[in-house]
Amino acid sequence: MLFNSLAFLYAFLPITYVVFWRLTGKMPRYVWLAISGYVFYSFWNYKFCSLMLFSTTVSYLAGRGLLRWRDPGRRRLCVVIPVALDLALLGFFKYGNFAAANLNGVLPWLGMRATLPILDLVLPVGISFYTFHTITYIIDSYRGAITPTRNFFKFAAYVSLFSQLVAGPIVRFRQIDQDFEHIDRADRTADLQTGWSFFVIGLLEKVLIADTIAAVIDPALARYAELSTVSAWLCVLGFAYQVYFDFGGYSDMAVGLGYMFGFRLPQNFNSPYKATDIADLWRRWHISLSSFFRDYVYFPLGGSRGSRWLTARNLMITMVLVGLWHGANWLYVIFGAYQGLLLIGHRMIRARWQRLPQWAQRSATFGLWLLGLAIFRASGFGMAAALLETMFTWHAGAGMVGAGALIVTLALAAVIAHWAPNTFEIRHRWSPSWVAGCAVLFGICLFVLYGARPAPYIYFQF
Amino acid sequence: MTTSIGTGQRRRPVWQLGFVIPCLLAVVGLADIGLRFMSIDPFTFRAWEALLRNRPPGAAFEPNRDYDNARSYGDLAALGNFPALRQYRVERFTTDALGFRNPPRILNEEISAILAGDSFVVGSGVNDDETLSSRLTTSMGCVVYNAGSDAGRVVPDEILSVARRLNLRSRLVIRLYTDGAAVPVPPTRREIAAVRLIGRLPADVRAVAGKVRGFLTVSPLQSLSGRAWKAIDNGRILPNKYADNVVRATLVNGDTMLFQATRVDNFHRRRDLSLGYWRWLREDLSKAGFDLFVVLVPGKYEVYRPFLVDPQPLSPGAGDYLNRLERALRAMDVPVLNLTPFLSGEAARSLQRGKYLYWLDDNHWNAQGTALAAAAIRAQWPLTATACNTTRSPAVQTP
Repeated sequence: MLFNSLAFLYAFLPITYVVFWRLTGKMPRYVWLAISGYVFYSFWNYKFCSLMLFSTTVSYLAGRGLLRWRDPGRRRLCVVIPVALDLALLGFFKYGNFAAANLNGVLPWLGMRATLPILDLVLPVGISFYTFHTITYIIDSYRGAITPTRNFFKFAAYVSLFSQLVAGPIVRFRQIDQDFEHIDRADRTADLQTGWSFFVIGLLEKVLIADTIAAVIDPALARYAELSTVSAWLCVLGFAYQVYFDFGGYSDMAVGLGYMFGFRLPQNFNSPYKATDIADLWRRWHISLSSFFRDYVYFPLGGSRGSRWLTARNLMITMVLVGLWHGANWLYVIFGAYQGLLLIGHRMIRARWQRLPQWAQRSATFGLWLLGLAIFRASGFGMAAALLETMFTWHAGAGMVGAGALIVTLALAAVIAHWAPNTFEIRHRWSPSWVAGCAVLFGICLFVLYGARPAPYIYFQF
Repeated sequence: MTTSIGTGQRRRPVWQLGFVIPCLLAVVGLADIGLRFMSIDPFTFRAWEALLRNRPPGAAFEPNRDYDNARSYGDLAALGNFPALRQYRVERFTTDALGFRNPPRILNEEISAILAGDSFVVGSGVNDDETLSSRLTTSMGCVVYNAGSDAGRVVPDEILSVARRLNLRSRLVIRLYTDGAAVPVPPTRREIAAVRLIGRLPADVRAVAGKVRGFLTVSPLQSLSGRAWKAIDNGRILPNKYADNVVRATLVNGDTMLFQATRVDNFHRRRDLSLGYWRWLREDLSKAGFDLFVVLVPGKYEVYRPFLVDPQPLSPGAGDYLNRLERALRAMDVPVLNLTPFLSGEAARSLQRGKYLYWLDDNHWNAQGTALAAAAIRAQWPLTATACNTTRSPAVQTP
């Protein structure tokens, strides 16, 4: 079920909301949130609910073990076993076939005739997100950053919280533990205005900007070989804004839904296109993911405490894993490696970079990001190479259908992305005229949702 | 901004998103519900969608309905969102009390044959008097009942359920199978049980069930919104995202003809014959005392592919599905008539005069196509005036 679907707006959300606030006490609300999360998830594939339940149960038991045992050996087991199981599940569903296909290509070179089977697997939606939820919970419990909960339903509600279940943000338990503790004391009206404000803005970003851009660039990119140089740049530029407003919009809707139920979900996008360098961009882009890799991969590897070479190695490993997290595809690995190179390069020329005027820093950062997105968007090496070649050598090519609509939308998107305050910077206290304007735009969104099937979010595939 | 309500002691925020947006959702939701009580005829471009809405289980369409549209057009023009290629025509579509496309008086007449199959049988795109069953009735002097429906697969229990309500003179089922439709497979036990259960339900219950289903699943607001967005996704303002549903081809005379992309793909694929369905259909009908006569109808692409500019070449084993099916059915002693050679030849002759047997903007045959098909069936199938007076068709005796 998508946030931008009529079923969600007219059935799931009102029912979940009304029942939640009619219930009193922590336990009934935990149970209801857990149930609603599983119902929400089952709209994709109810069979995979068991997978989420398994992951939840194992992590919960590990947390109980960490509460109970003090000796290092047992505590280590309480971390290693559930994290290994989580990663094994993630690896099997997300990377199993990728690994098998690559091994099948390599084995003959090693003189081996064995062929690994390619399984007909369906990637459980959201597995990359809820797996990371449980991993952060276990590791934070082990490190003593949080106290594991004894309440299974509280933990199940945390893992399956529908607002962040399938595409994040990757919320750590410690970030919303207090909200869970005060779930019976939350005031339903206090955060409702803010919640709807976030939700409406997110919906507008998704439906009116991201989906309009996608409507033009997707058909054009499907015929990438025919693109002109101008069209290729427009497509990549369009994708940059599409992916930002798609995922940023989703994150805003998730935050808004969190507010409606008394949860303060963390900011996931902090105006990344205002970044002045690539490290700054990664501090602002998909913050919950980048901070996960920073805290659980980069820092444990040594971070920047070692030599320049060790730091570069750590950066590269981290960013390749970030790329690989997006999917089992070498293009994502290359995207990650490219980002790693940019980060390493930036560390080397940081002093000189900072002497550039700010507009130049921002423009250059955005330009370098665009090149990475050309790789990220490509469906294969051929497309990536052709797209980059078309961008940097002159091709007359064919015009794009809908170029006028695209340019208008891109101009609007650019103003919002590069200059406007983001949703965490505004006060969400609207004057009547702004409310009326939002209502009109929301009405248009509804009309779109009525007339066409809601477009899925890009990050659902990850 | 806040607005005082009642005594002024309790203040409720009105001009706030948390109030306005849920209200807007409620208003739009209520409008949607309200529109569902209205007819959707004004929102439809042809009878098919309008009459499917309140279809009771076991029926093809909403019973006892008249649908008139002076500016109906083809399904492919709609499917591919090509307004410039629409062929506007008058469509009159009437259903009987059982929910099939027949004149209501037919239930008082003696039926000589039941014509079953998909939208080609129904006569999508043609008027009541131009359907194949009407043509056969007129030309042969005995009444042929149109039991066509959108479910391409014909299940004997459904036919028997209909037949029980008819005044049958002859127990003959003409099963029309159109190339490009899905290869039929026998239904599962559960499906058969459901068909039987539906057949036993009183007509009133089925009618209510149909209306409830129509109310829940068909939204005029969605239709309206869908049409509005199609006007924007027109290939100029925004790319036409529907265009890939349809193959747009040029005929040798320069006319543009539309084909459904999935049917073109099907034609070019090597499809394996599956005779289980046909065997089962014959046996089940036979047990109920019905004879089966199969008529194979070529798809539009098969008929007009030879006349396309730069047609897609045929890969080995593709494109001859109906011929193979005809041979297989004959080997099973199932009486069969393959209209492919006849309609292909007639299409070539008509094309020279700038006429067509199928609509340019529709999957289906037009009035000329149904007339020719009826003539071919009449010529090859010995259901004569004599047969109309017998209780058993001679069709199976002279395959």
